[in-house]
Amino acid sequence: MATRKPSAGTSRSTTRTASTAPADGVRDAVIVGGNRIPFSRAGKKYADASNQEMFTAALEGLVARFGLQGERLGEVVGGAVLKHSRDFNLVRESVLGSSLSPATPAFDLQQACATGLEAAITVANKIRLGQISAGVAGGTDTVSDAPVAVSEGLRRALLDASHAKTLPARLKALSRVRPSDLKPLTPATDEPRTGLSMGEHQAITTARWGITREAQDEVALASHTRLAAAWESGFFDDLVTPFRGLVRDDNLRPDTSLEKLASLKPVFGKSLATSSDAAEPTMTAGNSTPLTDGASTVLLASREWAASRDLPVLARFVDAETAAVDFVHGREGLLMAPVHAVPRLLARNGLTLADFDFVEIHEAFAATLLTTLKAWEDAEYCKAELGLDGALGSIDPDRINVNGSSLAAGHPFAATGGRILATAAKLVAAKAAETGEPARALVSVCAAGGLGATAIIESA
Amino acid sequence: MTAGAPATGAGEPLRVETLPTLPALGGLYARGAAASGRIAAGRALPGLPVIGAGRTGDGTDTTERPLALPDVAYRVPSVATAPLARHLHDYQRLLHEPVTDVLPAGYLHVLAFPLATAVMVRGDFPLPLLGMVHLANDVELRAPVHLGDVLEVRAWAERLRPHRRGVQVDLVAEVRRAGGPEGDDVPVWRGVSTYLVKGFHLPSEEPGEPDPDQAPSGTWTPPLPTGRWALGPGTGRAYGAVSGDRNPIHLSALSAKAFGFPRAIAHGMYTAARALADVGHARGDAYRWTVEFAAPVLLPGTVDVAVTPDDPGFSYVGWNARRGRRHFSGTVTPL
Repeated sequence: MATRKPSAGTSRSTTRTASTAPADGVRDAVIVGGNRIPFSRAGKKYADASNQEMFTAALEGLVARFGLQGERLGEVVGGAVLKHSRDFNLVRESVLGSSLSPATPAFDLQQACATGLEAAITVANKIRLGQISAGVAGGTDTVSDAPVAVSEGLRRALLDASHAKTLPARLKALSRVRPSDLKPLTPATDEPRTGLSMGEHQAITTARWGITREAQDEVALASHTRLAAAWESGFFDDLVTPFRGLVRDDNLRPDTSLEKLASLKPVFGKSLATSSDAAEPTMTAGNSTPLTDGASTVLLASREWAASRDLPVLARFVDAETAAVDFVHGREGLLMAPVHAVPRLLARNGLTLADFDFVEIHEAFAATLLTTLKAWEDAEYCKAELGLDGALGSIDPDRINVNGSSLAAGHPFAATGGRILATAAKLVAAKAAETGEPARALVSVCAAGGLGATAIIESA
Repeated sequence: MTAGAPATGAGEPLRVETLPTLPALGGLYARGAAASGRIAAGRALPGLPVIGAGRTGDGTDTTERPLALPDVAYRVPSVATAPLARHLHDYQRLLHEPVTDVLPAGYLHVLAFPLATAVMVRGDFPLPLLGMVHLANDVELRAPVHLGDVLEVRAWAERLRPHRRGVQVDLVAEVRRAGGPEGDDVPVWRGVSTYLVKGFHLPSEEPGEPDPDQAPSGTWTPPLPTGRWALGPGTGRAYGAVSGDRNPIHLSALSAKAFGFPRAIAHGMYTAARALADVGHARGDAYRWTVEFAAPVLLPGTVDVAVTPDDPGFSYVGWNARRGRRHFSGTVTPL
């Protein structure tokens, strides 16, 4: 991947000169806009909607918003975390079901909860290298319509039977099936290597960093309050298309309160109470993200492409960094990879945390956000684990998730990256328009498997 | 130890009896069960229940003949592993090992186990197979063993010694590459399984039921887990099928109840082998793998585990998080 040379200084005026013709030979990729469908709690409004239906709806809304009917885009990239094997071309099928030109190529990509952001990184890179002029990045996920698999015993027996050449051999293969093999397997969010659910993993990290219940509930409250305010102010009017009768994210609780959140019983980390390092369990359904259905898309392009169609340019996709951590034996928390990615991303771009007007940190759990911030403020940790000279720094809470995040909106795994990116792009554009100064946002998404993706965007 | 002349750890020489092939475990268990009954009836180990016979022989027949282990080492000179591909891969999938043609140390234990069992079901073996409690295992894999290697397997019993709840004995098994140069007597794999023989009760406490009066949980605090195993009711049957170790205490609640367990219990070696697999590539090609067993894992059940880097190698521990009770602990150390 091409890297951008750090600018000479770190002050805003000197770092914001890059525009149309970067010295490293790549051109700018810009975010034109985004579109998603409202996110819905699992088993509710979208209970019978498939991934393809939801992604097509989000894509079609984007096409309508920017007048892309019949347009041949360079690429549409997206994916789903919980994906049926028949959806091997989920995104291409969605393109064919949309009013984009059928000559628009597409491919599926998957990086757990970072799928959406990774798709945007991929599209932005193609644009920057001049391989394409415009593309869509996105993601979709349904827990309600999740694929159901057969047990390993039944699967092997069926495969052996289908490979068998004679009837007796086929029957022999099938005779291995036991009644217990007939139980269907529903997808689990457990980490395959540890057997711990994501919530249990976070509960361990939460305990290790001593994050309190109160702090987590405050994050959850802020998420709901801010997302509700953003909906009220019309912020999402040009970012969301209604779907199946839903016009707003239905996980949003505008009237929630610290009292209500405090009344909820812990759901994760309950078995840690006997362990040496653990305090009382602190993670509840209120400060953890619910299972959600939904889809999102983001339109990226070269400046020239956007200008030739009189389309707006919200932000420039500056750079991105992914990371992975060794969580299997507890060296690092499962959801801590962005903590490692961001310092590398900042160093490469000659930036510090103080250089961002907005910081979007995906709220897998309120505690994920809090451990991320606490880790960056911990000098000893930053030296030992991140190889820094000292603490990475603090972030003004008023710059973090200013329009709410996943705790309130919900988190359809692969759709979250697109939701955050479109929100951040609109935020920096509005800020820059308001102040006349460039504005910049940092985006961070943690993911299963100890993965994380992060990106920098700035007003274009 | 000199080449070709097996001896116990204490240096006592052993008579080598060569068998043409590894015995089949199914038949051994039938013999073991019968022998256990015979030993129980004849030797009257205190409080030793026998299937269908309740408690037998309490206080009778105490005419002591000192317990002595057979001075025999079994040897199977040529065990071909090439035909074992499917079996190996079944084992690897069950234990969460990567599916490769390299034999994990736990698989070699499974391979050698029937020969060790054959020692235990000999007529002159003084202890009942079905009353043995697996206390610990200490295994060294000194070089990688591959599918296709032809192996020599040896097994004998040694170090019969007192334990505060009865007696303990080591079953030693060794695996060598067959046809190695004469005098090259270093086994590539060596496993020592330590068993306690008492009644059918476990060393620390009554299995299963909470027992606050003698709960050792107060003396041990679990660490933060790195993993959690959800073990289904068929775990014992699945490992039994792969390992051949179909001891009734592992197979079903009913058969386990006959031996005083409230439900079926997981094979100790299953749990130790899962922990070994969890360490992954960091264990290297040659490693020492130890385990000590505490409270049994009742099935179905959830085991919290912590597999953590330790200098050198890894240490691991598994426990019941609800009761704070340890199931097993051990180490994996690269050699």
